[in-house]
Amino acid sequence: MTMWTVRPPALATWLLQHFTFGEVDEALAGDLLEELRSGRSAGWYWGQVLAAISVSWRRDAISCSSACSFAALWAILTPSWLLVVSQLEQKFHFHAHIWRMDWPWSTILDLGALLLANLAYILAGIALFLLADLWLRRNLHTAAFLRGMRASLPVMVALSAALIILPMRFLAEERSTNLLAEIPVGASIITHIHPIEVARIPPQETWEAQFGEKPVANRPSPLAAISDRREPAILVRLPFFLVILLALRGARSNLGRRQLDAQDRA
Amino acid sequence: MTDRSYLGEFELMILLAVLHLGDEAYGVPISRELEKHRGRGVSVGSVYAALERLEAKGLVSSKLGDPTPERGGKAKRFFQITRAGLRQVNETRRVLTRLWQGLPELKGERP
Repeated sequence: MTMWTVRPPALATWLLQHFTFGEVDEALAGDLLEELRSGRSAGWYWGQVLAAISVSWRRDAISCSSACSFAALWAILTPSWLLVVSQLEQKFHFHAHIWRMDWPWSTILDLGALLLANLAYILAGIALFLLADLWLRRNLHTAAFLRGMRASLPVMVALSAALIILPMRFLAEERSTNLLAEIPVGASIITHIHPIEVARIPPQETWEAQFGEKPVANRPSPLAAISDRREPAILVRLPFFLVILLALRGARSNLGRRQLDAQDRA
Repeated sequence: MTDRSYLGEFELMILLAVLHLGDEAYGVPISRELEKHRGRGVSVGSVYAALERLEAKGLVSSKLGDPTPERGGKAKRFFQITRAGLRQVNETRRVLTRLWQGLPELKGERP
């Protein structure tokens, strides 16, 4: 096997492509590949990739605080959005309709709707930021933005699973169930996934009577949810913060530099 | 009072490496040059971050080379020191030389 056929670790390369925000990432990727093919180890390659990501994020956090601030703000508002979604669900008896279907469609549709609602919230935040950015006449690059979105979506799914679904499945049942029950999205997941809770789902005909119009005691208002600093509310905000930040950072691009690159190539 | 900011240690090293390398100054040789003289490894990402800072200050300029197969079709970015960069290096050298000249032999130093 010649050195030219040495392939870099695929995951490390993917991370380098999607988690660095510099304008020289192509040159950097080429340099690392050149060094790898000249005899460096895969461990060295991984070390360089992780260092490059760390440097990139550090520099980015300092130089582009507007995206960080906006992502934090949007994440703080997340519990309010989830509460509104939960109220809409109850108003339109969404779960009653979905749970008339057979498993697994009921769970798939329920989680799909949840994901769509979250994506709509994230996209609304990103659109708002981009509009403000265009208004301030800053440089944006559509391709870079799409790249940011592509990178952020799998991260959102992974983080949601890690922070919400997996703890519920594998931590102590009572504690995790209680934790999740404090947030609207968690309550929805408990009802629809947790095997113990699934067993408690009332018969179809009593569902609407129980959950449709029944007033819920101590329901927080969307405004009060903004200041919710309890553990589950923070857990819910984290994936949203990271996803929005990733997407916004991908959208930021030094258009001037890319144009210069294009001229150089020409 | 002149508007002059002195170079950081790492930035100065990178500028000197770029000067040493001449037309062959891109990420890999710059990193190797630094490794050779510092005696320890260097993160290529840090080198690029410093080069970007220097470029933003107008002390280096860069241009893309041709993509090559051993780099997976990715182009090299060649760096060159600008006139302002050269002036800054000379100024830093002048100041450092004067400061060093004023010092007595340091305790524990082995020439």
